[in-house]
Amino acid sequence: MLELRHIYKWFNSGNNRTFLLKDINLRINEGEFVSIMGPSGSGKSTLLNIIGMLDGFNEGEYEFLGESVHSLKDKQKSSLYKKHIGFVFQAYHLIDELTVYENIETPLIYQDIKSSERKAMVADMLDRFQIVGKKDLFPTQLSGGQQQLVGIARALIARPKLLLADEPTGNLNSKQGEEIMELFSELNKSGVTIIQVTHSEKNAEFGSRIIHLLDGMIEK
Amino acid sequence: MIRNYLTMAFRNLKRHRAFAFINISGLAVGIASCIVLFLVVKYELGYDRFLPGNEKIFHVVTRQVYPDRVHYQPGVPVPALAALRNDFPEITTGTLHNQSGRQVTVLGRDPNAKSDQKFIEDSGIMFADPQFFQVFPFPWLQGSASMLSEPNVVALTEEAGDKYFGSWKQAVGQYIMIDNAVTLKVAGILQNIPANSDFPMGVVPSLVTSKNNPDLFGYNDDWGSMSSNFQVFMRLPENVSPASLDNRFAAFSKKYYRPGTQSVKSNYLQPLSEVHFDREIESFGDHSVSRSTLWTLSLIGVFIILMACINFVNMSTAQAVNRSREIGIRKVLGGKRSSLFGQMMGETGVMVFISLLLGLTIAALCLPYVKYVASIQESLSVFNTEVLLFALALAVLVTFLAGSYPALVVSGFKPLLALKNKFSSASVAGVSLRRVLVVTQFAISQALIIGTIVAVSQMGAIKQANIGFNKDAVMVLEAAGDSVVQSRQDAFKSALLGNPQVKGVSFSSDVPSSDNNWSNNFAFDHTEDQNFHLFMKYADEDYYKTFGIEFVAGHAYSKSDSITGWVVNETLLSKLGIKDPQSVIGKDLRTGATQWKPIVGVVKDFRTNSMRDNIPPLAIGTWKQVYSAAGIKISGDNFNATTAFVQDQWNKYFPEYANRTSFMDERIADFYKQEDQLALLYKIFAGIAIFISCLGLYGLVSFMAVQRTREVGIRKTLGATVPQIVYLFSREFTVLVVVAFAVAAPLAWYFMNRWLENFTYKITVGPGIFLLAILISMTIAWITVGYKSIRAALANPVKSLRNE
Repeated sequence: MLELRHIYKWFNSGNNRTFLLKDINLRINEGEFVSIMGPSGSGKSTLLNIIGMLDGFNEGEYEFLGESVHSLKDKQKSSLYKKHIGFVFQAYHLIDELTVYENIETPLIYQDIKSSERKAMVADMLDRFQIVGKKDLFPTQLSGGQQQLVGIARALIARPKLLLADEPTGNLNSKQGEEIMELFSELNKSGVTIIQVTHSEKNAEFGSRIIHLLDGMIEK
Repeated sequence: MIRNYLTMAFRNLKRHRAFAFINISGLAVGIASCIVLFLVVKYELGYDRFLPGNEKIFHVVTRQVYPDRVHYQPGVPVPALAALRNDFPEITTGTLHNQSGRQVTVLGRDPNAKSDQKFIEDSGIMFADPQFFQVFPFPWLQGSASMLSEPNVVALTEEAGDKYFGSWKQAVGQYIMIDNAVTLKVAGILQNIPANSDFPMGVVPSLVTSKNNPDLFGYNDDWGSMSSNFQVFMRLPENVSPASLDNRFAAFSKKYYRPGTQSVKSNYLQPLSEVHFDREIESFGDHSVSRSTLWTLSLIGVFIILMACINFVNMSTAQAVNRSREIGIRKVLGGKRSSLFGQMMGETGVMVFISLLLGLTIAALCLPYVKYVASIQESLSVFNTEVLLFALALAVLVTFLAGSYPALVVSGFKPLLALKNKFSSASVAGVSLRRVLVVTQFAISQALIIGTIVAVSQMGAIKQANIGFNKDAVMVLEAAGDSVVQSRQDAFKSALLGNPQVKGVSFSSDVPSSDNNWSNNFAFDHTEDQNFHLFMKYADEDYYKTFGIEFVAGHAYSKSDSITGWVVNETLLSKLGIKDPQSVIGKDLRTGATQWKPIVGVVKDFRTNSMRDNIPPLAIGTWKQVYSAAGIKISGDNFNATTAFVQDQWNKYFPEYANRTSFMDERIADFYKQEDQLALLYKIFAGIAIFISCLGLYGLVSFMAVQRTREVGIRKTLGATVPQIVYLFSREFTVLVVVAFAVAAPLAWYFMNRWLENFTYKITVGPGIFLLAILISMTIAWITVGYKSIRAALANPVKSLRNE
C-alpha cells in the first residue's frame, strides 16, 4: 500500500542539525494493522504525520498507492489524503460548534457529496457505532470515550483505505481504551488498513505488527 | 455547504458573543453614519437637477472688479434683460424678480374686500416673465406661463394655494394683495417646487406687475444700479456651448457697461449645476453649500466605515488564534483553502448583514434629527431603492474590506501547526500590521477631536466676542416700509414708550448687525471721491441708545426725516488716515450724488455683519423713507408680557400690516447656523469615531489579556506587581496613541487653519488645543485598556497557570 525509503527529517538550530527522523525504511501492505511504539520524542507522531501527508520530509522517497508523494504538489497531496486517509487524534479534535451529526458529516461536505447521500451515509455510520441517540448533542456533552467514537466515525465516513490514529486511547481510561481497540480490530478485519501510534504495550498487541522507534530510527 | 457555513456562522456568533457584539455594533454605527451621510450628500448634489434639460440652463452673473476686490453679483441691471434678448436673439432668456419678505393679504373673490388674513412671506414671492418657464419648465397644473404676460396676475404653487384658499383647486380667479398696494388675480397653479431647489417659488406674480410699480418693487430701469433680486437665466440651444459665448459676453459687457470710477462690470454664464455650490454668488435658496463641505462629509463617512472595518480586521485576526484548532481539523478532514476562505467570508457576511439591518434601523431613527445638522428641511427616508442599493453595495464592500484579510490569514494556517495551537496572536497577521491599523484608527479619531475642539472654541469665541453693541433683550419688528406705516411710526413709538418696561424704540433701515451690504461711492471733506465704498445704514436718533452703541466723539444727530448729519465709525476714520476722531466732527461727507452733510458723531466700531466679514467703513444718517425695522429694547422683567404688549400695540396701530418678529441675539446666532451645524457635526462624528476606536481597543485588549494569561501568571509568580502588569498592557497602546497623534496633529492643524480662514475674527490654533486633544485620547485609551488590564493583573496566577 505504501512504502517509505530513506526518509530523513531534520531542523537546523544554529549550526546544529537535529534529526527528527533518520533513514526510515518502511513498507506497509494493504490490510495490515501496524502499531508504532517508542519513547516520547522518538519521532512516532512525526512519522505518522508524514505518512498522513500532513507534514513534509527533507530527504527520501514516499510512495502511496503507486503515487510518488515526494514529487506531488500540496494540492495534489491534500486531494490524495482526502480520498484515502482518515485521521483519529488523541484529543479527538471534534469541532465544538458542530453537533455529533454535523461533525461526522463534515468530510463529506468537503468531498462535494450530495446532501441526500450524505444523510444516508451519516445515518449508517451513527447506526453502526450505536450513537444515533447522541446525534444532536455537542461534543462537550459527551464523555471522552464517546467523543473518540465520534472521532473514529468521522474518520471512517468517507470510507478511507487507511486509518491513521495518533494515540487514540491516550485520553481515555483503560476500559474505554479497550473498547476502542476492539473496534479497531474489527475495522481491520473488514479491510481497513490501520496505523496507530501508542505508548501502551497492551494496545500495540492488537496490531499485526509493531514498529519500535528510538531517536528517529527504526529499531531492528 | 452554504447551510453548514451559515449554522457555523450563527453558532460562532453565539459562542463569541462579546466579540460579535463589538464587531456588529462598530459596523452598525459605521454603516448608519454612511447611510445618513449618503442621504445628505445625495440630497445636496441633487439640487436643481430635477428639470429636464437642466444642463442647458445658465445663470447670467455680473462680475464687478474694484481696485481692491472682486465682487460677484447674482443679479444684472434691469435694462440688461432687454439688451441680452436683443444681442442673443437665438437664446431664450427668462427673468425672476425676487420680492420675498413682503406681505400677502388674502382677499378672496372680492378684490375690494378687507381682510385679516395676512402673511409676511419670507421666501417665495418671485415675479417672473413667461420666458422664465421656457428656461425652467416647471409643470403647471392650471393655467400656463403665457398668462404671465398680463399685469396684475399671479400664479401660486399648490402649497401656497392651499395656504391662502384652503385648497389650490379653489384658488384660480380669487385675489391676493401685496404690501396693501397691488391687487393680483390668481390665474394659474404651479406644481409644488421640489425642496432641493434654489428657486423656492410660492407666489409668482407677472414681471410686468413689478415693472408697472417700479418704486414699490425696486424695478430700477437704470444701467447704474443693480440688485441681487433681479436675476436672469438662459436656456442655451442644444448645439451651443457656454464657452462659445464667452467672446460675445465680453463684447456685450464692453458695449453696455460704461467704465465707472469704482468698478468694471462684466457678465458671464454660471451653469445651473453650480448655483447651489458657489458660495460667492448668492442663490435664492435658503442655503448654499460648497463642494468641499460635501467632500468633507463623504470623507468622514469613508473614515468611519474604514475604522469599523479596521476594528473588524483587528478583532478577527486576533480571534483567529482561538479558531486555529477548528481550522486545522477542517483542513485535515479535507477542507480546501478556498472552502475555508468561503466559510470565513460567509461568517463575515452574516455579521455585516446583521450590522446592515441594525445600521438601517439606526439611520432611520436618526434621520428626523438630520435637519439640526444640515440645512435640509425635507424629511428624508431610508427606505427607497437608491438608499437600499447603496446600503447593499456598502455591505458587500465592507464584507470584502473587513473579511478578506482575516479569511486569507485563517484559511492559510498550516493544518499541523493549527492543530497543535502553535499560533499566538503575535504570529498571526504580523503585529506590525495590527499596529498600523490601530494607529490609523487613532489618527482619524484624534484628527476629529482636534477639529471639534477648534470648531467649538472658534464658535464660542465668536459668540463671546464683543460685537460693539448690546444685543440682549432687543426685539426687532420688520414690516413693509411704505408711507402709511411710516406715517404712524411716531404714534406707535410713543405708545410703546408709555410702558415702563420698554426702554427704547428706534426705527431704522436695518439693525446694527445683518447680512445687508448697502454701499455707495462717497467723498470726504470736499475732495475727490474716495476709491473705496462707504457702507450705509439709516436710522433715527434713538438707534444708539436702543442698541447701546458708544460714541467716541460727537453725538447722535437730532430728530429729522431726512439727512441732516452723519454718524460714522472708527474704521472709516482709519481708512481715511485720520487719528483723532474729534477732528472730523463738523467736516462734510457726500454719498453718491447727494448733498454735503456734516459728520456729527463717531461711534466705536461694531459688527455690521457676521464675524466672517471685516468691519466696513460705515455712515449712518436719518432717512425716514427707508425705515422698515423697529428695534425695541425691553427690560428683562415681565419679558413675555412686554412682548405681548408690543404685539398688541402693533395690531392697534397697523391692523392691516403683518410683521416679522425676532430678537437681536437670535438673529446674530443665526449668522453662524452653518458653522454651528458643522461644529455639531464634528462633535457627533468625533464621538462616533472615538466610540468605534474604543470598541476596537477594548476588543484587542481583552483578547490580549486572554492570550497573555500565562505570561501574566508566570510574571506574577516571579514577583511582578499589579502596576507593573498594567504597565505591560498599557505601554504599547500609549505608544500607539502618541504615534497616531504625530500623524493626526499636522493634518488637523492644516485643515482647521483653512477652515478658520473663513473668519476675520478667529482664534489661533495653539499648542493648548493639541495638548487637550492628546490628553483626551490618552485618557480614553487608558480607561478602555485599564479595566481589562487591571482584571488581568489581579487574576490569581495559580489559576491561570493551571489552565495550561
